[in-house]
Amino acid sequence: MLVYAAAMSHAPGITAWPKAAPTEQRARLDEAFERLAADLHAAAAETLVVLTSEHWNNFFLDHVGAFCVGRATAYSGPVEPFLQIEGREVAGDPELAGRIVTAAYERGFEPSFSYELSFDHGTMLPLHKLHVNGTRVVPVFFNTLVDPQPSAARAYDFGAIIGDVLRASGERVALIATGGMSHDPGELRHGTIDSAFDRRFIEQMERGDAAALRSYSRADFAAAGAGAFELLAWIALQGALRDAPGRTLAYEAVVPWATGIGLMEFDLK
Amino acid sequence: MSVYTLQKMLREVNRSPGSRERYFAEKETFVSGYVLTDEERSAVLAFDVQKLYALGVHGLILRPFTIIHKMSEPDYLRAIRGEA
Repeated sequence: MLVYAAAMSHAPGITAWPKAAPTEQRARLDEAFERLAADLHAAAAETLVVLTSEHWNNFFLDHVGAFCVGRATAYSGPVEPFLQIEGREVAGDPELAGRIVTAAYERGFEPSFSYELSFDHGTMLPLHKLHVNGTRVVPVFFNTLVDPQPSAARAYDFGAIIGDVLRASGERVALIATGGMSHDPGELRHGTIDSAFDRRFIEQMERGDAAALRSYSRADFAAAGAGAFELLAWIALQGALRDAPGRTLAYEAVVPWATGIGLMEFDLK
Repeated sequence: MSVYTLQKMLREVNRSPGSRERYFAEKETFVSGYVLTDEERSAVLAFDVQKLYALGVHGLILRPFTIIHKMSEPDYLRAIRGEA
């Protein structure tokens, strides 16, 4: 059964250079992170499915897939030496991951899957900030780096399959989407945050506006910065949740972290 | 598509502790293990960030590569924007 759902950004500056952010912004975000962590803990999930993106860690241009489900028994991370997150091993849930893959194939999606993956900040930072220890993890990676990325509608529909698998599961499962919001990491507009874009997107997530979320184009994301493609995971989350109402715990445009940082929770139907 | 190999090499330095150690210990030897153009090889050995970006290295490969060289964010942005 699905017991908890949230979405959050994962900018590396959150842990790598936390004090670069203005104190008040950091305080508001830390309070929201702790609230998410407490609510996730209270949900007593046995497995956490993370809809996520990565940054040239597992995947390179030698083989590009749209989606990849992790079927490993364990993962390690983070790979980056500068995150100030201690390296560790995270247990997987290959059985649940396998059910996601099988359900997807039965319903017209053929995601990649892998029995060996490691985590960079895209997954390790959420696990760290949410104090996830001892909960099994199933990562689902979205290609957000290489053109063409999957469409918003396709991400939403893939999420719907994942949601059905989790609701039918006998174990208690939490679902988290991570990435975004507007940012242009390492590119010419690095440091530019489009707060208007972010707030509009958050409002659509809050009211579960499937039509709006499914209609985002690649050009829409690109205009909000290369990193905005990571919001495909958030759209997949709403697909999984069947357009559940959401609450925004925090939104801050943190210029020193070069990212619009959003944290949301959702009411499960 | 030689920038493919250039990015593959920089990514290897970013993600592999052993490669990172070998790269910093003896850069010319490390770089000689990859088939690069003269321009690419020179840009890496000179740590010419502006050139590496112009050659097409993705920002999420180049920025981590510059972070492990202790390059500040303002310096990075000046470099890729050609303001350095």
